[in-house]
Amino acid sequence: MKSPRRVIAVVAFAAASIGLLAGCSSGGASSSATGNGKVTITVGSLPPGTAKAAFTAFDNRVKAFEKLNPNITVKPEEYNWTASTFTAQLAGGTLPQQFDVPFTDTQSLLQNGQIADISSEVKALPYGNELNKSLMAVATSKSGAIYGLPYDPYAMGLSYNRKIFQEAGLNPNDPPTTWAQVAADAKTISQKLPNVAGYMQMTNDATGGWELVATTYSRGGRVEYRNSKGKTIVNADNPATVAALQWLSNLRWKDNAAGSNFLLNWDSINQAFGAGQIAMYPSGSDVLTSLVAADNVKPADYGLTTLPISGSGAGALTGGTVEVVSPQATKAQQEAAVKWIDFYYVQPLINKSQAVSNAKTLLASGQPVGVPSLPVFNQKTYNQTLSWIKPQMNVPQGNVASFNSKIFNQAVVPEPNIDTQQLYTALDPVVQAVLTNKNANIKSLLKAVDTQMQPIITKDDTKE
Amino acid sequence: MTAIDRTLSSQTMRGVRRRSPATWIRGGGLASLLFLLPMLFIFGIFSWYPIVKAVVMSFQSTNLVSAPTFVGWQNFISVFQDPQFGESIVNTAYFALLALIFGYPIPLIAAVLMSEVKRLRGLYAALAYLPVVVPPVVAILLWKFFYDASPTGVFNTLLASFHIAPQPWIENAAQAMPSIVLEATWAAAGSTVIIYLAALTGVSADLYDASEVDGAGIWKKIWHVTLPQLRGILLITFILQIIGTAQIFNEPFLMTDGGPNNATVTVLLLIYRYAFENSIGGGYGEATALSLMLAVFLAIISVVYFRITRSWSQN
Amino acid sequence: MDRRILSPSDWHKPGVKWSVRLLHGIVLVVLIVAGIGPLLMLARSAITPTQDILEHPIAFFTNGVDWSTFATAWNTLGIWVQFLNTIWVSAGEWIVEIIVATTAGYALSVLQPRYGKVLYGMILATLFIPIVVILVPLYLVILHPPLLNQSMINTWWAVWLPAGASAFNVVLVKRFFDNLPREVFEAARTDGAGSFRLFWSIVLPMSKPILGVVSIFAIINAWKDYLWPLIVLQNPAVQPLSVRLPALQDQIQLNVYLAALAIATVVPIVIFLVFQRFFLRGAGLGGAVKG
Repeated sequence: MKSPRRVIAVVAFAAASIGLLAGCSSGGASSSATGNGKVTITVGSLPPGTAKAAFTAFDNRVKAFEKLNPNITVKPEEYNWTASTFTAQLAGGTLPQQFDVPFTDTQSLLQNGQIADISSEVKALPYGNELNKSLMAVATSKSGAIYGLPYDPYAMGLSYNRKIFQEAGLNPNDPPTTWAQVAADAKTISQKLPNVAGYMQMTNDATGGWELVATTYSRGGRVEYRNSKGKTIVNADNPATVAALQWLSNLRWKDNAAGSNFLLNWDSINQAFGAGQIAMYPSGSDVLTSLVAADNVKPADYGLTTLPISGSGAGALTGGTVEVVSPQATKAQQEAAVKWIDFYYVQPLINKSQAVSNAKTLLASGQPVGVPSLPVFNQKTYNQTLSWIKPQMNVPQGNVASFNSKIFNQAVVPEPNIDTQQLYTALDPVVQAVLTNKNANIKSLLKAVDTQMQPIITKDDTKE
Repeated sequence: MTAIDRTLSSQTMRGVRRRSPATWIRGGGLASLLFLLPMLFIFGIFSWYPIVKAVVMSFQSTNLVSAPTFVGWQNFISVFQDPQFGESIVNTAYFALLALIFGYPIPLIAAVLMSEVKRLRGLYAALAYLPVVVPPVVAILLWKFFYDASPTGVFNTLLASFHIAPQPWIENAAQAMPSIVLEATWAAAGSTVIIYLAALTGVSADLYDASEVDGAGIWKKIWHVTLPQLRGILLITFILQIIGTAQIFNEPFLMTDGGPNNATVTVLLLIYRYAFENSIGGGYGEATALSLMLAVFLAIISVVYFRITRSWSQN
Repeated sequence: MDRRILSPSDWHKPGVKWSVRLLHGIVLVVLIVAGIGPLLMLARSAITPTQDILEHPIAFFTNGVDWSTFATAWNTLGIWVQFLNTIWVSAGEWIVEIIVATTAGYALSVLQPRYGKVLYGMILATLFIPIVVILVPLYLVILHPPLLNQSMINTWWAVWLPAGASAFNVVLVKRFFDNLPREVFEAARTDGAGSFRLFWSIVLPMSKPILGVVSIFAIINAWKDYLWPLIVLQNPAVQPLSVRLPALQDQIQLNVYLAALAIATVVPIVIFLVFQRFFLRGAGLGGAVKG
């Protein structure tokens, strides 16, 4: 389904500009491959409908890679994550040998044995030990084996419509910094502009649970934790989640600032935002790429800030894609696939000419350049990458400065570890209930989710 | 190849054994078999075999990558323990009930009225059938527009012109299911209308003439001639509709994703989530187990239904 | 005479006449609104700038008309490829469905082998199985078809052949054949016609109406089908529109998407309007649906 799973499939290409690495060694794929024979691998390329220029650029990269690794032949296949096709392809072994999966599903997949252990290949990379630990956790098993390389990570932020802020008499350069201010601004907007929802969040296709978890994190709560015996406990009924829902309930029923449509998934909330029906909503920090492509949003009207942080342990939820390898590929193919990941996905982050060339491709295909991503490496490296592509940038950096300046001070928190998607799906109805039923009993709804999910999580927790 | 095919061929064999091959061929046995071949081939490979395989999988635990293991009734037990199981049954039954209330009489009334149209009957029928032709992706996208719950939404704007307050439509747990039924009825009624129209054409004019001789008025003719003559087809469309509505999927999947508050989680949506969403193939056993239960339930209902109605449907 | 419930004398009563006319008028208005309304809405939105579609859902052309969407959809997105694919997919499914339904219907209804009842029951039983659940086993069949050593993934055979397993078609055709006059068959048999002659020269020509009905159902279903082709036709070069368009949705503007959907909707409507005479004459289904 859509985000959290899909967010990135859409913007898969846009990631070129930003990095995930702490260090900056120019590793480069060493051409002296271990294999003696020739290896052919199939790799997922870009989602259907991506601009032709991007496909051409992809093919050029393939050629360059093959030149560097004469023993490896790369066959690109259009690739897009959908739950049903993925399951069928998985069963039939017809997935590309190298493909990407959403953060959300990585743990389920590695626990099911559906993606390959590539620890040795990754550790052999020059930067193998410099990879950011908190991000790598997404693709690392309990025993420490590595199953993928995170790519194109983002943090949850608060997207807002600068034009609407202005029309409502608010200062678009001064977005809200506390949840109370978000509510106050939302109320002002909905009062001044009756057909605009001041604030809304997603509720459907598992995105309801996803954003609820994000707003929980921002209040210092967690929905899953490991107890002293190492068992995973689901804890939807925690004070931060209750507060997040109570806040939402007040916004909806007291302030009347949440509009009137409450079944919104990733597509439909983006569409509503693009149409000026919603003024603020939590989103991935890189959602602008999709907003420009599908919803006619002009970067000049778009603003992004961080989600307000309050309480100890508060942080920003991360997401993104993980580049993984099929367990059905041969060892030689797995090695080749990791080389390809290094070459295509990692090098542009640490290599100036690649970064610039990718930015130019984005620009040529009408996509925004300079969309905020997750700066999990140090700020210096982040700024350096941005400075390389400054001439290509078409997103006014002032509009996203509020996000870029504050995200460095936020802790970065990964998604719940076990049965992530199913937990999100179970939380969807709770968010919907709060928005559609004035007297929804938040605590008992959350308790019910805990009761429902705990046996499932306990069962899957025992898997590796 | 499969159990079913084996029983099938053993039955054929029995026929062969009783008579000599020559009489069998002369009696048309070979010809029958040849004519059945395309069906046996297609159904055997693309329907019966996958079904048998699904039945086997309902007793297995699988992640679709490594070899499956047999787990007995475990999948069935975990389906029963899922709180959404009961919820989905209630929702599906509610959908079926509403669909019967809206979807069953309306096409009949429309068809009876339309069959009296003298000119342009084709136009009426074509209009009625148009929604059936619209691809579901398009239909659901359009209806989402219609159901926009803000005061500027399409339906709400129309209601406003009659001074009716804006309705939440699919955004409200109580109204979501009726709204879905409205869309589903719109999408499906055309087929039923066409079937009834055809059946009405088949009612012999003599019967009406005869009842008029007996002094029957319009209502009496409908009650004593039209409806009894349509009895057979009405009984069939009734059970087909039950089977169809029990497998309702597109609308809850594409329009509401089961929301709000699980009000539109149907059995088939739950099956889909088991199979494809929750743990990406890890729940395929549960999905097949629930499907099997649904299929057996529908088969029992149908058999009982045909037993009960057998006496009614004979002219 | 082509009379229905109302007799000529009923029609002469002014009360009856006018109330029936009024009812007909109401039915017509409802049908126009329900049948054409949504399509007009689609057509309207396809040529409206995206922003207007969302901000003014029922206003007409507040900020002008944008015809370029159709060209963008057709050329830039290249959906003409999938348009042609859809035609091939439908044609193939249609042929397979007709062959399976007519031969099986003939064997079960006319030739009546003694195991026919069992087979018919097994065909009916497939009605109870939701397609969702056999997706994966069926996918594995397509991947490793028995007898053949060749995967059918990304070929049209993967959608053509499974389409033939339609219990509904077989039932429809068999019931129609059941109602054909047996005397004709007997006469032909006496004249020395074998089973094949009987099928080809007698039964099929008498069955044009039901063939028309099955054809329409087959073609329209092929045009609408989504979940199954999505899974077996991953290669865009062979995908039909129903699969391709939703995949593009995230990458393109709403009005271009709607224009593409409008293109995808026009064809089944045209096919239906062309073939509707088969269908709506009534004779078509009359035989199959009686009793």
